[in-house]
Amino acid sequence: MRKFGMKRAIVGAAIAALALNAPAAHAASATGTATAKILRQITLTNTSALQYATIISGASASTVAVSTAGVRTCGATLSCLGTATAASFDVEGTEGAVVLVGGDSSVSLAGSLGGTMTSSLTYSAANITLGATGGSFQVGGTLSVGANQAAGDYTGTFNVTADYQ
Amino acid sequence: MLRFFKGFGLLSVVLLGVVTEPVQAAGDLLVAPTRVVLDGSRGTEVVLNNIGAEPATYRISLEIKRMTAVGGLDEITEEDATPAERTALGMIAFSPRRVTLPPNQPQVIRVGVRIPEGTPPGEYRAHMLFRAVPDAAAAVAADAAKPAATGVSIALIPIYGITIPVIVRVGDLGAEAVIGDAWVAETPDGPAFNFGLTRTGNRSVYGDIEVTRPGASEPLLRARGIAVYPEVGAREVSLRVPPELAAKLKGPVRIRYTEDREIGGGTIDEAERVVK
Repeated sequence: MRKFGMKRAIVGAAIAALALNAPAAHAASATGTATAKILRQITLTNTSALQYATIISGASASTVAVSTAGVRTCGATLSCLGTATAASFDVEGTEGAVVLVGGDSSVSLAGSLGGTMTSSLTYSAANITLGATGGSFQVGGTLSVGANQAAGDYTGTFNVTADYQ
Repeated sequence: MLRFFKGFGLLSVVLLGVVTEPVQAAGDLLVAPTRVVLDGSRGTEVVLNNIGAEPATYRISLEIKRMTAVGGLDEITEEDATPAERTALGMIAFSPRRVTLPPNQPQVIRVGVRIPEGTPPGEYRAHMLFRAVPDAAAAVAADAAKPAATGVSIALIPIYGITIPVIVRVGDLGAEAVIGDAWVAETPDGPAFNFGLTRTGNRSVYGDIEVTRPGASEPLLRARGIAVYPEVGAREVSLRVPPELAAKLKGPVRIRYTEDREIGGGTIDEAERVVK
């Protein structure tokens, strides 16, 4: 419900903002005809983060993969704890619209106590066709964990875009 | 003049039924319209709205993208840009370039165009990128997994945004497109309906695709907003479809490529194809 209220407000505001500058609006004031422009819109919402959760590194280098479906595969020498998730994004817009989606293919992570790691990134699709309730895409990845990787909080940022063509 | 805004149907205000988790990142955004075409005589406005639950700072910039043969848009760095692409960046002006918005606060971005004297006729294009700046996003993503005593915890923060094309047309331009072969193929992410589009002329073509079974009134497949940009003479269009639709699409179909409804919806090309 909260979401619905928000959407309506957005549309109202967008119309108000644009109607002010429409030449037709000035002409219409004499006859009392109301005019409004309705614009096609696109929204992009991040609904979950790419989470490898907690990993305890081993004596040899290994990898942890999270598929775009959110399934984690833990390397043999590692222990994986917590709940892993793939990043997910919702896209809303005109029904039937084809939106290109994608972003960086890898990301570097820096540890709070030193050390670095890299993760490759995979996307669930190169484009999505929006349905009546929009569409979504997911981002998974494979994290390379070094032998006796330094403990700590590792953070990294990666770019994702939804492109109209 | 107003053709770009004319004849808009109902704006799709959709209720998203399934929200599994609360939105945890700042930077969610709405952009309208989704495509801008300017003839050089007047500018336009684009609306950016913060639809997240937290205030966010957004940066607006122009990027160069080139279409690939498979219909993707490759990002091109400014050093690798062609003179025409640089001209496009130079002729499009916009403001503001950075804005901090509380939740549910729209902001109008004014887009102007100035065509330098002697610019050769053609279509000039850049892609306007709207994106929350990393600081704003990082501040909220900090609630990621807490570190265990001996383990490593990972927080990957997406910096995400939307791009829309801003197209400037100089001179009298024209283009046509022809529908090529159509086929259904398996991809790692499920089946996809594919077909070729060949373009001729000195501007892009843009429109909607409708695939119909001869004799049936309801189209099997509709896809809106398919472009072939001038940097490619042909592209493949690959649309993922559910398996049951993929099976239905095989056999004889009629494919129609029409101009955007906003500019009349005229047919660009129409073809009978037997989908393999």
